[in-house]
Parts: sequence; C-alpha cells; structure tokens
Amino acid sequence: MGFLAAIGRVVISFLTATGRLAIFAGISVSHIVRPPFYPRLLLRQIIDIGYYSLPVVGLTAVFTGMVLALQSYTGFARFNAESAVATVVVLSITRELAPVLAGLMVAGRIGAAMAAEIGTMRVTEQIDALSTLSTNPYKYLVAPRLLAGFIMLPCCVLVADIIGVFGGYLISVHKLGFNPSVYIKNTWQFLEFMDVLSGLVKAAVFGFLIALMGCYHGYYSKGGAQGVGSATTNAVVSASILILGCNYLITEAFFAQ
Amino acid sequence: MSDARIKIAIRGLNKFFGAKHVLTDLDLDVREGESLVVIGASGTGKSVLLKNIVGILTPDSGSIKIDGEEVVGVTGNARDRINRKLGMLFQGAALFDSLPLWENAAFGLMSAQGMGREEARVEAIERLKQVGLSEADADRFPSDISAGAQKRVGLARAIATEPEILFFDEPTTGIDPIMGDVIDRLIVSCVRDLGATALTITHDMESARRIGDRIAMIYDGKIVWVGDVGDIDRSGNEFVDQFIHGRVEGPMSRLIAANASV
Repeated sequence: MGFLAAIGRVVISFLTATGRLAIFAGISVSHIVRPPFYPRLLLRQIIDIGYYSLPVVGLTAVFTGMVLALQSYTGFARFNAESAVATVVVLSITRELAPVLAGLMVAGRIGAAMAAEIGTMRVTEQIDALSTLSTNPYKYLVAPRLLAGFIMLPCCVLVADIIGVFGGYLISVHKLGFNPSVYIKNTWQFLEFMDVLSGLVKAAVFGFLIALMGCYHGYYSKGGAQGVGSATTNAVVSASILILGCNYLITEAFFAQ
Repeated sequence: MSDARIKIAIRGLNKFFGAKHVLTDLDLDVREGESLVVIGASGTGKSVLLKNIVGILTPDSGSIKIDGEEVVGVTGNARDRINRKLGMLFQGAALFDSLPLWENAAFGLMSAQGMGREEARVEAIERLKQVGLSEADADRFPSDISAGAQKRVGLARAIATEPEILFFDEPTTGIDPIMGDVIDRLIVSCVRDLGATALTITHDMESARRIGDRIAMIYDGKIVWVGDVGDIDRSGNEFVDQFIHGRVEGPMSRLIAANASV
C-alpha cells in the first residue's frame, strides 16, 4: 500500500509540474504576441543568445566535423567507401550533430544563465518589484527570452553547419588527401534542402525549450542561493533531456517512412 | 484625521501557507493621507499582509478595498491600473541589477506611463537628487553603491510616478541607525510632499515613531492594537507593552511556548 502511495505521489507531482510548466509556457507565449513589446530587451537577448554563443557553437562544430571525417574515413576504408565521407559529414552535421550539440552547448551556457539571473531576481524580490511597477514579469522577462531563443538558435546552427562541414573538409583534404573540388562536389551532391531545414526546425524548437526551461526554473526558484543553484542545475538538465527527446520526435516527423 | 475617508479597507483577511495560518480574519483601515505603521515581531505576518495588499500574494479569503474598489482576485490590466496608484520600497530595495540607477528610478515612468527615455532620465535625476544622490550617480549600477544608497534609489523609484499610496517594507532593516534616521526623514518628507497615504511595516520602534501618524500592532496574524503614535506608550495592551520594551517575558513568549509544546 505504501509502495502504491509512493508511486501515486510521484505521478501526481509529475503531472502537477507538467501542468504548471504548460500554463507558464502558454502565458509566456501569449505575451510574445500582445503589446506592449520591449524591443531593447529582445535585442539584448538576441545578442546574448546568438552572438555570444557563436564561439562555443563554432568550436563545437569545427571539432565535430573534424572528428566525424576522421572516424568515417577509418571506418569506411574497411570496405572501400572512402568517397562517402563528404556525404556522411554533411548529412550528419546538418541533420543531427549541429542542432543537437549546439542545443546542448547553448543549454549549458544560456539556460543556466537565464535560470540564475531570473532566480536571483526572484529571491531578491526584483520580480515582485516589477509587478508593483505595473510591469508584467512574463512580458518583461520571459517573452523576449523565448522569442530570442526561438529565432537565434537556428541562426547559430546555420553557422555551425557551415563551420562543421568546413572542419570535415580541412581533415579530409589536408590530412586524408582528398581532392578539394571532389570533396566539395560530393558534399553538395547528396545534400537536400530538407536536410538543412530539419536541422533548423530542430534548432528553433531547442532554442525555445532552452529559454523556457531557464525562465521556468528561475521564475519558481526559492530559498536563496541554494535555490538559485538548484534552479540552474534543473534548467540545464531538463533542457538537455527535452532536447534529446524532441530530437527523436522531430526526426521521426521529418524522415520516418 | 478620524473623519478622513478610508483609503485601504481590509476585512476578514485570511492567508494560509500549507497548514500554517499566517493571517487570521485580519481587519485594518488606512485613512486617506495618514501614515500608518504596522509593527510586530518577525514571522507574525507583516510582510504577508503587505504583499497581499499590493497583489504579490493572493489571500485565501477576505476583502481588500482600495478607494472602495475590491482588489482581491483582480489581475491583468485592471490590476496594473490599481498598481499605478501604488509605490513600494522593498526591504532589500529590490533594484534591478542590470539597469543603471537612473533607469531604476525611472522604471515606472517608462514602463507604466510610457515616458520617453530622455524625459524619463531628466525626471529620474530630479528624484535621485530629492533623495540625496547626485547626477553623477545616475549612471552607476546598484552593485556599486551601499545598502543605504540602494534604499534611497528604491525610494526614488517608489515616488517617481507620484503614487497615491506608498508602501514601505522594513525601510531601516540592514542599514546603520544614522542612515536609518536619514531614510525615515526622507520617507516623511516624500510622503508629505506627495500628499500620499503611507503604510509601513517594521519592527524598528524608533523608525515607527518617526514615520507614523498611527501604529497598528500585528500578532499571530491579527491586529491586536491600533492607536495614535502618541498613545503607544500608554496603550494598555500587554502585547504592545512587551514589544515596544523588548521584554523576553510577556504574552507573546507564553503563547509561543504554548504553541511549541502542542
């Protein structure tokens, strides 16, 4: 009986948290489309999420592309399929690795920062102060971050696609002895618009989820420094899990036969 | 003063946090133009009362009327309209870390009243000067200034929109006695200049005597005494007597001990 009660408590707790998150997301999204708007705050978030994430996303992409080329080559050489390296690199990068790895890196960088900033505002009564100044915290704090995440992660992933493919090119041409023009031709030959588009759609969803988790856990943080620390950890962990789960669902939606 | 109309009327207010009954059928009136100070020990419900009035918390039952208009359960634009009548100085000032001092002071002007940045900056600098800061401080950030200066900026932010009602949450907590006196004098002068109604919560009796026209004592979620500030020393209320003299022995200690033993 106690065991069943424990399961029941976990289920109820999970459903409560899910419902609260859904309400939080619904209210926040509604404030994205309703005036007044805060373009200065949106611009700041766009710069934070997009521009300042480019170095870490770019580094991740270039090394991923390099490793992918090297691994594919050593594997494919066993059955004389070295010519497929360029195709494997470009498809892997655009469809999967750029959006997922960029999402995970940005979740660590931006999701944590959002949770910490909003969490600190919560425990120092700054969010309460916003309310008393007739300013809706959802509109002022959450909506610009959600919109910026939704817009900017695809931009970062587009850059990561290019840098990742370039990383593969560098290794293939300068280390593995591929002909540069043949490598570029092979890269383009099997790449389809849908490959890039699926990666960008994933990135937009991941960007939204990263911002949502950062804002949600920050907004409901409590208990001072320890609470803000927990909110930061929860934001990164939950965003990462959601990224991996949604990655499968979007892949299924795009490519399942 | 007794003929003044009621600006804030609270009736039968109840607030629970889980099983803990924090406010218990609380009744309180704040008259227009007066400065009412609510005193009480830590954990007796002072902050919860204030947060219920300004809409940060929602009571479980009861009524709060501002200018005769019910505010419990009011949300969205209607709540924003009510909040435009209010200004609040938070216990820790609650300044926005990411904004310079002038933007903190001008926040309500720009956000709630739609004032342009240039005009708001001029107005904010005037308010900063009013609370004893200079124009040179305007571009500094909250983390660059002392706790006392942060309280001043918080006060400038609270009065910038010229609200009808001002709330002060523990205005002298966390600052030295001299700065506390300075803040109290600023509060008195700002409230007088605006002709506003003020509600302050504090456990600092010196501050309460300086700021208040009337004092209300809260204990265990109820108002146990209300009277003019001049009557506090002869209130005849054993809770008030214990609190203002800071005695360990008294009815509050007995009740705390009785509750702890249950």
